[in-house]
Amino acid sequence: MIVSMARVRILGPRERLEAVLGELQDMEVLHVAPPVSLTPPGGAPSAEAPGVEAEAQADRNVATTRKRIEAIGWLLERLPATDGRGRTRPDLPDRKEELDDLLSRLHRAVAALGEQQVGRSHERARVARMRELLETFRGLDALRGHSGATHPYFLIVETPDGRAVQELREGLARLLDGGFELLEGPRSDGETPAVLLVPGDRTGEVERLLAGAGIQELPLTAGGADATRSPDERLEALDARLATLGSRLDRLGRRYRAPLEDRLQAEHDRLLALEARASAATSRHAFVLQGFVPEDAVRRLESRLHERVGPTVVVERQGREEWQGELAPVVLHNPRLFRPFEAITRTLPLPRYGSIDPTPFVAVFFPMFFGVIVGDVAYGTVIAALALLLRRGSAADGLRRSVAEIAGACAAFTIVFGFLYGEFAGDLGRRLFGLRPLLLDREEALVPFLALAIALGFVQVVLGLVLGAVSSFRGHRRESLGRGLSALMLVLVALALLAAVEVLPHGFFTPAIVALLVAFPVLVVLEGFLAPIELLSTLGNVLSYARIMAVGTASVMMAVVANRLAGAVGGVLVGILFGLLFHLVNFGLALFGPTIHGLRLHYVEFFGKFFSPGGTQYRPFGHWRPEPGPPSNPNAVKAARSV
Amino acid sequence: MDILWLTMSAAVAIAVPALATAWAQSRIGASAAATLAEKPELSTTVILMIAIPETMVILGFVVALMILLQGGA
Repeated sequence: MIVSMARVRILGPRERLEAVLGELQDMEVLHVAPPVSLTPPGGAPSAEAPGVEAEAQADRNVATTRKRIEAIGWLLERLPATDGRGRTRPDLPDRKEELDDLLSRLHRAVAALGEQQVGRSHERARVARMRELLETFRGLDALRGHSGATHPYFLIVETPDGRAVQELREGLARLLDGGFELLEGPRSDGETPAVLLVPGDRTGEVERLLAGAGIQELPLTAGGADATRSPDERLEALDARLATLGSRLDRLGRRYRAPLEDRLQAEHDRLLALEARASAATSRHAFVLQGFVPEDAVRRLESRLHERVGPTVVVERQGREEWQGELAPVVLHNPRLFRPFEAITRTLPLPRYGSIDPTPFVAVFFPMFFGVIVGDVAYGTVIAALALLLRRGSAADGLRRSVAEIAGACAAFTIVFGFLYGEFAGDLGRRLFGLRPLLLDREEALVPFLALAIALGFVQVVLGLVLGAVSSFRGHRRESLGRGLSALMLVLVALALLAAVEVLPHGFFTPAIVALLVAFPVLVVLEGFLAPIELLSTLGNVLSYARIMAVGTASVMMAVVANRLAGAVGGVLVGILFGLLFHLVNFGLALFGPTIHGLRLHYVEFFGKFFSPGGTQYRPFGHWRPEPGPPSNPNAVKAARSV
Repeated sequence: MDILWLTMSAAVAIAVPALATAWAQSRIGASAAATLAEKPELSTTVILMIAIPETMVILGFVVALMILLQGGA
């Protein structure tokens, strides 16, 4: 159901506006409407009305608050959350200039600490890599016992395909005529560590060659073991530095995180209040604020403002003829039993205010269709168990709880139809304990099952047309009559067909056909020349429900095949395992197929007849909540439900 | 011979719409994958779009069933 709304106008002395906004923010019931003008129609703006400067100041306030929220958000993203021990929780300054100054200082400090952390982390990664390379040269101490006759170079050759080392070797051969030693380490990440020994008097030429080839030399001053110790010391120093930086950030987090969170809430609240204030029309002496309130909350709003702000503030309810229903915000409120099914209707845009909320119909038809398709006691029991499992530990208003409860309803219908069809894991119940169908045997009675599916479709489509007629009766009388006539013609078609196949007495046939012939031109007059095509399409919609029978028959046949294969395969154990596996696959399909087809029948065939999307979400002016996602103010639903 | 024609007709009645459905779903499926890459929130709509062409094969199934039942197969 769509909650009934009232449009109200709150009027009062201008100096009471802040107090009124405070109360409204605490009550969280008023969905603020766009501002009204206090200038009389055709008249010049009052000389007493706040001018352009006031509006500019309001804009500046909003901009400053947004900037502050951004700054606090930035800090909260970077300041670590602490366990609360040793938290000093100082109050942040109340004066805006002092607060902005503090935020600016904190920003600089946290940014500097962050930069240092990033820099040190990168350096640590480089040193760790260097240490890894130096491990390669550890066994080459003997080569480093040079006395000036040879000179060692420790190199990192960047060589994705390994060719650069070969090119270096060829260059050295040309330069030194074979008087050198080049030892390679294992290549890793496109880099090859290498040690090069050259004659002491040829170092200048070698260094020019290395520079020309862009090859890096590891800055090692000592050989072997000394070289590998040096990076260890540097790693230790870097770890100590990183720990210091981390503890500084922790200290800042302990000190400022909680007050900043409080201030973020306050600033968001302030921003919401500023935005609401911008929607109020003001003169020098008075203000007007208008919006939508759930019908049942109007009296509460009146009495609270009267008590807390004073009798000078008046809440005036506007007559229904003064506002367009399409503009009113929408909040759905359904009985507890139907509420989980709002998850299905919420995947579509909200219905327009004044139209029909399809949730109660979905709550009845969707699990029923699921049950008609799956219709198996064993499968239904497993679905019920899964629903219970899903429900355990789920949040009261969460999607998981809704899915679990929808699954529970589907399981109940599946078990009921399982008994009606006499199915327990296909025909296993019949074989093991003589379970007999109470309504029809789906393995044999294909035509009755098809008739049941089409009949369900007929009922739902006619209901959709009737709902469409009722929904559009107020605003679009002609369309409403057209939909009503379509529903009537559909009933006449069904009567004529039933009479033709002698399910009904044959006497019904002629009157039904005559009535159809009379209704046809009326339908064309009401709905235009496309009406006959639409009527045919509606008949197609009814036939589309044959999928209930098709998918259901496929499901039961798969189950029967699983049982027969289990009996036909080798030993007992293998047969049971094979049968279980086949049933598992069928069960997976039985979860997925009926859900998709059930949803499709609702969204396309049923909703298409009456559903009017385009409603505005009810967002009462209130306190900010950090939860993301629509509705942006979760109190919207809570507030509407509480009234 | 009659039985042969009857069963052949039923097979054609379901096979042609099945192929048409498969072709339509392959086109929609490819577009759906591209849509979901950019807007994952449209998954419900996308699943429904993929399910829509199945009406063809369902109607084919009904026609095939009617052929078989009317023909007394």
